[in-house]
This record gives sequence, structure tokens and C-alpha cells, in this order.
Amino acid sequence: MATISFDLVSPENLVFNDEVGTIIVPGKDGDLGILPGHSKVMSSLRPGRVMVYNEDKSLIKSFFVSGGFAEINPEKCIVLAESVVEVNSLEKTSIEKEIQELENKEGQETEEQLSVAKAKLEAINVNYYDKI
Amino acid sequence: MPSLKDIKTQINSVGSTKKITSAMKMVAASKLRRSQEKAEAARPYSSRLEEMLSSLASSAASGEGIIKLLSGTGNDQNYIVVPVSADRGLCGGFNSSINRETFKLVKSLESNGKKVQLMPVGKKSRDFFNRVMKDQIIESFVDLNVSSTGYESALNVSNKLQELYFEGKFDKCILVFNKFKSAISQEVTQQQLIPLDVSNSEKEEEKENSSNAIYDYEPDEETILKDLLPKNVSIQIFKVLLESDAGEQGARMAAMDNATRNAGEMIDSLTLKYNRTRQAFITKELIEIISGAESI
Repeated sequence: MATISFDLVSPENLVFNDEVGTIIVPGKDGDLGILPGHSKVMSSLRPGRVMVYNEDKSLIKSFFVSGGFAEINPEKCIVLAESVVEVNSLEKTSIEKEIQELENKEGQETEEQLSVAKAKLEAINVNYYDKI
Repeated sequence: MPSLKDIKTQINSVGSTKKITSAMKMVAASKLRRSQEKAEAARPYSSRLEEMLSSLASSAASGEGIIKLLSGTGNDQNYIVVPVSADRGLCGGFNSSINRETFKLVKSLESNGKKVQLMPVGKKSRDFFNRVMKDQIIESFVDLNVSSTGYESALNVSNKLQELYFEGKFDKCILVFNKFKSAISQEVTQQQLIPLDVSNSEKEEEKENSSNAIYDYEPDEETILKDLLPKNVSIQIFKVLLESDAGEQGARMAAMDNATRNAGEMIDSLTLKYNRTRQAFITKELIEIISGAESI
């Protein structure tokens, strides 16, 4: 089966760079499943999970991104994310605490942070896409 | 004529200075390696972003709101100049060349009838412009420590800039910074940050794009561009901060290397002087003894 090359880039470094089978990215209007030969798309992302699978559809890694952009063409998929963490390394208790703290504050910035934190929590709790 | 003891103390003090400068050189060298790695790691993101942007830029000619970051305000009257210097000295001409270049730029813009404001980044340029053009500084950023705090530090600068821009405080923003060329050489560079200057990259892109199919955009071009433009400003600043940081370490390494070498030469010449003086004393004493013996 064919592969597609996948780059996950954060401002500080190149997080992931390899040939993979499938990628699922959280597009602004809905999740995008990307297979080799995907048509050319440029999409902005909402906070959520970027899932990477190898050719036999087993999950290699899942990352949490706080938003960013994806550029997709038939051979290559590039995700530019502002902050990238592996979902496994997220800690539920500390995020819940963060949400509580943010809920007591006000302002546009905290609202954004809150939605990112909530998306983080969701990313830990949900398990759809684990098997595709 | 200085006594032997005086020369000896001088040699000792130069020796301890040499120890300090060579230690600083070592520290700068290891920091340089780290900064360079950081700058290199940030490169893929910024180059990707630039590519994306230039393929989008042609589609949005003009507009209101955020698009202004690309199209400009339509005016050319108010400038903001951002000199990026180091927080610490002892790095040769690194800071002074930034300050000199910025000063020249401001003067030449002013002579063309433009209004110029300053937003220095780094202690050394802040202090300099606090002395010479205090009333033109609207904001300054010091102790950013980009190599340890990372992207956050760039966000602070970029948010402030954009806030001012959308308040209509300025039409054009120019960065003055040291571009990292190699470990021993930096080049003072001016870069127009706002409105975005895509003219250079666009030409190359056009060649590539002509053979490529057009992208689908999700949600749509304008929304993406609106997200992309502010991010690009932050990333450009981040890149500049990293380059400047690497340049600073490089400049310090070179400066300290020179200082160490100079101290070595100084010690050599002082030692020579010490030995000559000592010899002169011995000769003098011998003459005294001999002439004393002869007179008896």
C-alpha cells in the first residue's frame, strides 16, 4: 500500500516526520482523514487530536494540537501547530485544575485558553479513532 | 621606572582577566551551539508558513480587518522601528551596530517627513534609545530570554505590535536585527514586518504554482488568511529573536576570543619588561659592588 509523508511542525521544532498510512486531523469544519493521494487541501485546525496510523491502520501516535494549519497534497501532509503535546503525556488532574482556575476568570484570552483546555480534556477522555 | 612589584601585580591582574574572558568564551561557545540548534529547529515551521502564505497572498488583494497586515493601511506616514539587541554587553560591536543602524534609519525616515516611533527589544538598545530619543519609545521589551522561554516571548512582542497596529498607531513596522551568518559574523539587517512583504517569495512561488493544481480551502481562503497572518507576524519575530540570540553568542565568542588573545600578548610583553627590569637591577647592584670594591 502507498504511504504519505507526514510532517508535524511546531514553532520550536519538528515533532514528527515520517512516511505513514493514514492521518486524522481536526479541521475547523470537521475531522479530516488523510490517505495517500488525497486532493490538495489547505485547512485551519481547531484544538484537538492529530492521529497518525501506519499502513495497516494501527495507531502509531496521537498528538494534541491547540490549533494551526494543515497543508495536504497527494504526496505530503504538513501540519503547522502552535503547541504540540503527545496525548499520552497529558495529565488529567492538572488540566481539570487549569479549567477550574480559568472558569473563575473572565476575558477573551481566558476564554480561548479555556476552550483549548477543554479540548485537551476531551482528547484524553475519548477513544474513538483509536481503531479505524 | 616601575618597581618589580608593580609589574608583577599588573601581570597577575591581566592574567585573571584572561581567565575570565576565556571562561566567557567557552560559555558563549556552548550557548552558541544551543542557540543555533534552536534556530535551526524553528526553520521548518517558518519556511512552511511562508510558503503557505505566499500561495494565499495573491488571492487576497485588499480588505479590512486582519487582512490589513498584508495589504497595509494605505498610508505611509507613521513608522515603528524595532531594534533587536542583546540584554548584555561584552559582545563586541553587536549591540552598537544595531543601535547605530537604527539611529541612522530613524533619522533618514524623519528627514523624509515620516513620524517614527521606537519599540526596542533588549536592554542594550532600550538603554541607548532611552538616552537619545526617550520620547519616541512607546514600549520596550527586555529579558526575553528567547532560548529558554521559547515561542511565548515572541508572542508578547507580536501581540503588542498587532494591538498598536489595529489601533492605527502606525502604518509600517521595520525590524532591525543581527542576522546570523556564521559563528563569527553577523549582518545588520532590516526587515519590513508589517505590512507583509511577499514580493520576493512570491516570484519563486509563482513558478512552482503554475504547474500545480489549486488548493481547496477549508473553511475558505479568507478565514485561513485571517488565522495565518497574525501567526506569521509572531513567527517572524520568533525567528528574528532566535537569530539575534545565536548572533549574540557568536559575537561574544569572537569578542572574548580576541580579548583572551590580547591578554596573552599583554602578559608576554609585561613579562619581558619584568625580566629586563630585573636584569637592570642586578646589573646596577653589581656595578655598585664592583665600584665599591675598587675604591677600597
